[in-house]
Amino acid sequence: MHPTTLMYTSSLLLMFAVLLYPLLVTFTSLPLNNDWASSHAKTAVKSAFLISLAPLSLFLSTGMEAVTSSWTWMVTTTLDITLSFKFDHYSIIFIPIALYVTWSILEFATWYMHSDPLMNRFFKYLLTFLVAMLILVSANNLFQLFIGWEGVGIMSFLLIGWWHGRADANTAALQAVLYNRVGDIGLILGMAWLATNVNSWDIQQMFILSKNLDMTLPLLGLILAATGKSAQFGLHPWLPAAMEGPTPVSALLHSSTMVVAGIFLLIRMSPLMENNQTALTLCLCLGALTTMFTATCALTQNDIKKIVAFSTSSQLGLMMVTIGLNQPQLAFLHICTHAFFKAMLFLCSGSVIHSLNDEQDIRKMGGLHHLAPFTSSCLTVGSLALTGTPFLAGFFSKDAIIEALNTSHVNAWALTLTLIATSFTAIYSLRVIFFVTMGTPRFLPLSPINENNPAVINPLKRLAWGSIFGGLLVMLNINLFKTPVLTMPAELKLAALAVSILGLLTALELATLTSKQFKVTPLRTPHHFSTSLGFIPAIIHRQIPQLTLLLGQKIASQMVDQTWLEKTGPKAIANATTPLASATSNMQQGLIKTYLTLFLMTLVLVTLISAT
Amino acid sequence: MNPFILSILLLSLGLGTTLTFASSHWLLAWMGLEISTLAIIPLMSQHHHPRAVEATTKYFITQAAAAALILFASTTNAWITGQWDINFDLHFFPASMLTMALALKMGLAPVHFWLPEVLQGLDLTTGLILSTWQKLAPFILMCQIMPVNSSLITFLGVTSTLVGGWGGLNQTQLRKILAYSSIAHLGWMILVMQFNQQLALLALIIYIPMTFSTFMIFKTNSSTTVNTLAASWAKTPALTAITPMILLSLGGLPPLSGFMPKWMILQELTKQDIPLTASIAALSALLSLYFYLRVSYAMTLTISPNNLNATTPWRLQTTASTLPLAISATISAMLLPLAPATLALLSL
Repeated sequence: MHPTTLMYTSSLLLMFAVLLYPLLVTFTSLPLNNDWASSHAKTAVKSAFLISLAPLSLFLSTGMEAVTSSWTWMVTTTLDITLSFKFDHYSIIFIPIALYVTWSILEFATWYMHSDPLMNRFFKYLLTFLVAMLILVSANNLFQLFIGWEGVGIMSFLLIGWWHGRADANTAALQAVLYNRVGDIGLILGMAWLATNVNSWDIQQMFILSKNLDMTLPLLGLILAATGKSAQFGLHPWLPAAMEGPTPVSALLHSSTMVVAGIFLLIRMSPLMENNQTALTLCLCLGALTTMFTATCALTQNDIKKIVAFSTSSQLGLMMVTIGLNQPQLAFLHICTHAFFKAMLFLCSGSVIHSLNDEQDIRKMGGLHHLAPFTSSCLTVGSLALTGTPFLAGFFSKDAIIEALNTSHVNAWALTLTLIATSFTAIYSLRVIFFVTMGTPRFLPLSPINENNPAVINPLKRLAWGSIFGGLLVMLNINLFKTPVLTMPAELKLAALAVSILGLLTALELATLTSKQFKVTPLRTPHHFSTSLGFIPAIIHRQIPQLTLLLGQKIASQMVDQTWLEKTGPKAIANATTPLASATSNMQQGLIKTYLTLFLMTLVLVTLISAT
Repeated sequence: MNPFILSILLLSLGLGTTLTFASSHWLLAWMGLEISTLAIIPLMSQHHHPRAVEATTKYFITQAAAAALILFASTTNAWITGQWDINFDLHFFPASMLTMALALKMGLAPVHFWLPEVLQGLDLTTGLILSTWQKLAPFILMCQIMPVNSSLITFLGVTSTLVGGWGGLNQTQLRKILAYSSIAHLGWMILVMQFNQQLALLALIIYIPMTFSTFMIFKTNSSTTVNTLAASWAKTPALTAITPMILLSLGGLPPLSGFMPKWMILQELTKQDIPLTASIAALSALLSLYFYLRVSYAMTLTISPNNLNATTPWRLQTTASTLPLAISATISAMLLPLAPATLALLSL
């Protein structure tokens, strides 16, 4: 084996071993020591991160990609499934980033979940999730990807419902599972189509063999899968609901890693999509709608985690738009940079929440700039990175995307929506900063504000470095596959920035209105639309189960039981026979003349008929 | 009744039927029918109460009308074909008249209306004679004029089975139930008569012990309604246990002997390629089965409430002869395993 490939494979194997070891330890019946979470789990992830830097540096210097196939799992006549890993540009760059972010989150979680009696189990779940995510990212065939896909889905369910005594948490976990399941239908559809038409689940084989086929159907399936997993419009309500889980869960799953799995799938399958205009247009419009809608919803939310969740959803929509522009690598770049600042935003929220004794409503925060300076600085840095402030992490990916959007021949509507959503990003980011860090405190005096724990500071510091330099580092070291358009009119070049500044100024203006009554009777309809999330959860979560249950009742009770088994069966016979029986016996009136007349008539009739 | 008169009447009854059996001349056949009609009239009205007299009158009028039509038909046939022999095929015109006349004599639908009322007015013994013996002569004549006007025969048969089924559903009087049962059974016999007279004869031969048994059972319990039959558990417990077998045999349920004719008839009808008729006949047998089941339910499957004194009769020995009932009950319940022998006896 080539030394590079050997290096890649052995480091991945080592990473898996390092990550799985703490999990396997928990299967023995020995009780875990108190800081197992800190000493075993977090250290494992840290070591895995350091190990993953080796293939990263090798890739950056040589640019070599590899595919490793080992053990054959199943052999059927037509389809082989093997254990195979792909070390390409996407997985080699994403794995260290994911591990870096996870390491920071785990360290934060040792502080956040400190008072939880089942903290070790929590870390076990997070580790299992991480392993599943790595399987998904490094998979070279769809079967292995599906294993990772389902794994992250299940762990998401378990982690969202962590505080399972709370009914809202359980319903949120169920929502996550159900919406993901709908997306899984699409993935299975795609897999089945590919298995039957292209006869392989291997990525390389699929690309070659599907050159001349019409790929619309499997691509629609894959887009449905991405819609479910990455919370695009239509299957999006689970993501804000998933904020019922603890903040480390939100930081890891629902900002950096799990929700990008859908986008990652589309990125992997992008060679299949590049020639299919239907799929590309669908991605573009779906993404644009998602980003706009969720940004609108984020404008009026009052829960800090929900605002960040909608922000995640909006950025996922942006990634979908990028895929629709046929720029998968830019989407991938955005995944990487987004992981840093979004995880940091969540960790800052977690720090703020714990500091204010589990207060999540931003209307009851304020003035934290003086009381928790590090956290609020990180919050500001993260928000600036999110809005695409020049030369922070988010700028490199976001600006590249918007430039590509502006210079391509696409749907003007998608373009407009995306730009409006970008300005909304600035608005709600400023709203968060204004309400949380600025102004006077609106919380109770005896709040345990303390951010001086290294378990809080170090993760935030690391992620802050990542949010500031991450974009630059990644951009400097990779080769872009598609040549970006570098010349454009100045207005287009500055569009993203202008729109964000416009949003910022608007938000500042709106922020000063909080202490004045601008309008006596304000227009409440847009506000209600935004706060109720477009009324979508309220309508759909009742309607669809109601219709299904009604249909079930109609079929089972009315159609089968009442109709077929009663009215058309036994009762019909009784209802038909009773009048006949009474008619036959009531005909006997006792009049012999009548009887004889009947006889005569029958005789005449018979004789006439037989004569003919 | 005076034993001499009784014996004359009974012997005349026998003479009439035998005469019809033995004759090959239409006039003699008619004469036999008339003798049996005249002989049974005094038997019917022996109790002289109005209901019996009404039944007698109705019976006489219908039977006389039928006999007159038989005479007219056979005379017309002699006029057209020039001979009186029963064995020669009839001309179609007198054939249909003769069929209708014999249908009226036997009590086939749609000319069955006299049978329930007449049977209701008679006591059980005379009713028994009417249901069994009086069916023999017209039946034989019917057999001998086959095959004639297939659609008419099928119509008579199917209508009889249906009317027998539906009519009996609304009855509580046992004699009327048996009247409709007789109509239904005769319908079955008529259906197959056009194809295989031996099967029709088999049906009749199985039907007669079954009806005999039922009439005897009702006579033993001296009950004429379903409600009074419900008290039989205290009078004759053994008979109460056997009666469902007889009744269900009437209904044609395997493994009782009543199943034998129905099975054979359905097989014959299927072989003759009229499965629709066979299906309708089979379904109408379900209707009859329902009211037989109802009677057996009221009698056997429930213990009706009664006062204390009424629960004692079974302890006393009866002086009535139980041998005929024993024999006919055995025949009507247990004959199915002997089906091959029975069919062979009838030279099938």
